[in-house]
Amino acid sequence: MNDLLLIRKNLFRKKLRAILMLFSILIAFLIFGVLAGFERAFNAGEDVAAADRLMVVNKINFTQPLPIAYVNRVRAIGGVRQVTHFNWFGGYYQEPKNFLIVMAVEPESYMQVYQDQIDVAADARQAFIRERTGVLVGEAMLKKWGWKVGDRVPIMSNIFTQKNGSRTWDFTIVGAIVARKPNIDTNFMVLQYEYFNETQNLGRDLIGWMALNTSSPSQNDRVAKAIDQMFANSLYETSTDTEKAFNKAFAAQLGNIALIVALVVGAAFATILMIVGNTMVMAVRERTREIGVLKTLGFSGGRIVRLILGEAVLLAILGGLPGIALAALFAAAMETSVGNFIPGFAVTPGIALNAILLMLGFGLATGLIPAITGMRLKIATALGRS
Amino acid sequence: MRPFFLQVAAVTLINLKSIPQRFWLSLSTVVAVALVVVVLLSFLAMANGFQHTLTSSGADDLAIILRGGSQAEINSTVSREQVRLIEEGPGIARGSDGKPLVSAELYLVVDGLKRSSQTKANLPLRGIGKDGATVRKGIKIVEGRMFNPGANEIVVGRALLREFQGLEIGQTVAFATSRWTVVGVFEANGSVFESEIWADLPVVQSLFNRNNIFQTVRVRLQSAAALEALQRFVEADPRLKLDVKSEAAYFAEQASQTSDLIHKLGWPLSITMALGALAGALNTMYSSVAARAVEIATLRAIGFGGTPAFVGTLVESLVLAALGGIIGTIATSLVFDGFSASTLGASFTQVVFSFTLSPALIGQAVLLALAVGLAGGLLPAVRAARMPIVAGLSSS
Repeated sequence: MNDLLLIRKNLFRKKLRAILMLFSILIAFLIFGVLAGFERAFNAGEDVAAADRLMVVNKINFTQPLPIAYVNRVRAIGGVRQVTHFNWFGGYYQEPKNFLIVMAVEPESYMQVYQDQIDVAADARQAFIRERTGVLVGEAMLKKWGWKVGDRVPIMSNIFTQKNGSRTWDFTIVGAIVARKPNIDTNFMVLQYEYFNETQNLGRDLIGWMALNTSSPSQNDRVAKAIDQMFANSLYETSTDTEKAFNKAFAAQLGNIALIVALVVGAAFATILMIVGNTMVMAVRERTREIGVLKTLGFSGGRIVRLILGEAVLLAILGGLPGIALAALFAAAMETSVGNFIPGFAVTPGIALNAILLMLGFGLATGLIPAITGMRLKIATALGRS
Repeated sequence: MRPFFLQVAAVTLINLKSIPQRFWLSLSTVVAVALVVVVLLSFLAMANGFQHTLTSSGADDLAIILRGGSQAEINSTVSREQVRLIEEGPGIARGSDGKPLVSAELYLVVDGLKRSSQTKANLPLRGIGKDGATVRKGIKIVEGRMFNPGANEIVVGRALLREFQGLEIGQTVAFATSRWTVVGVFEANGSVFESEIWADLPVVQSLFNRNNIFQTVRVRLQSAAALEALQRFVEADPRLKLDVKSEAAYFAEQASQTSDLIHKLGWPLSITMALGALAGALNTMYSSVAARAVEIATLRAIGFGGTPAFVGTLVESLVLAALGGIIGTIATSLVFDGFSASTLGASFTQVVFSFTLSPALIGQAVLLALAVGLAGGLLPAVRAARMPIVAGLSSS
């Protein structure tokens, strides 16, 4: 009779009890998987940020504008490889609740600066540069609204109106934006800055912010300082930061998601630690006589420890793996519906690996006390107890 | 009937008295239920606190006027000519000087440093005129003084001060090239205005290069019923492509978006956790029935019915769950009630709010706890009631 068989037999001796423990472990790992996936998606902006990219925003706040003339002045600074600029359009489709991420960009420089993140087919590139009312739409947005390349889509803005008084812009989708990495969000649309600047009614020749690539990440600090110094004491002062720091600060504006996730996961694990830990102690106590018999048969203390720890770890893995699998299924099902809010919601291999480590740790933690009890048990006391 | 109730009472008492024999297992049920209650109550208190902050911001007899379709103050623009036209509208209350109580305002976003994360966050800077504080009710300077007209001075909301640093009285704040001195702290009944910075409108207009531009207009109405007349007035004038809403309706809309989201996260999470706790409760109660098998069988043998065993087990489970519910509620009220937090609101600026518990929320959480106790006790109670006497007596 090998140890694994013994472990399995012990674990399922009381079927109902084993199933209840497995279920509570499954729940804890389901919660872990879902929340870890959620948190990762939430912080995706930080992960996908390019090391050599800087963001230049108005020093007052990134919602304040900058003059378009700044773009050429920044381009001339040593160490700046490419620079492009954005305007927030405040877009929505049909109804205000159908909020869309829409930005006005300078087509060529935009596709250059972001070529590490996005891929646009050659003919779509040309069309976007050429056609004034053309827009590029991310794959995720196309899928969400069921749009196809070639469609005409009426997009409204809650900030701008056209000079003719209309609040609706009719755009033609000239191409799709494809993500180059899996956790890059493509739920957005870009339109031509020139067309936007000519047709909208509020403040001409202003931009929202700039994004640039430096010749190397080691130049980041120097370039950032040079930019901010160049515009110091002007009407529009700038604040330049790495894309990573910018994205991180933006995510932090929503709240301390990491703390909330840690607290909820902590509560879920404290629950099963109590339930499973106590049940294991009880299960081993019920088996006192048997352990005495095993020891009489020549089982060493170490082997008893292995048996009991093995049982606890097996329990954790049998409950945890389906829990994580369920979390992955849930994330896959939710990604499309929550996509607008948390793109890239998925249980990644990294999360799954962490979960497996947690299962091992959890198994050892719940098995430790009963294992030590079992190891120390004297044959005489064990057989004497009834 | 009387002996029946006595039987039930006696068995229930035996059940409860035997809990200490299964102390650790019973405790694990109590803790599991308590943690479910803590998680649920924290989310509910978060949603409630946020909603409370926004809904207490809006008054029924205050109209807010935005550019048509702009939805939030930050997106809106209103011209000087439009402000003048609105002042002639019907149903507007008048101040002591006989002039209509109309406040044209500018709403800009500036950077502040969040204490908890030490990162930049969007703060609203509101430029208000002389009627800005009077159209709103309940604005109180609690420290320092109001800004002086024409001066680079700001007053900050009490809640903002809690979450963001560098805004204490006497501090100088730089917004681009302009420097401002904090001269006062104001309260606004715990409303969203306490998350704002206020300054003199003409100064903000000139230093932010927004001369003659306004974003929103607030109008004190003679009564809440006067809103319709003003709406009709604005609709009838083609120069006024504006949306007129009561401030209460404006903020209620914004509140529901965020608090719905928190509910949508909190409830499923708590119910999932409750299922885990339920497995624990079932485990505990089945163990309880197994441990008392001899006792239950003995009682049956001397003439007790099955019902007392059923009720006794169910009550034991409910008591454990209720205990968990109470401990969870106390823990939440000690740790999270009044806990201050801030998030990005609909106007793209930080809204500072406090977690707020209420009896209704506690009621919901205790109900969830009791549901776990009921479901966790039912099947084991049936097993206790149906246990064959012979099997019970021979079980050890």
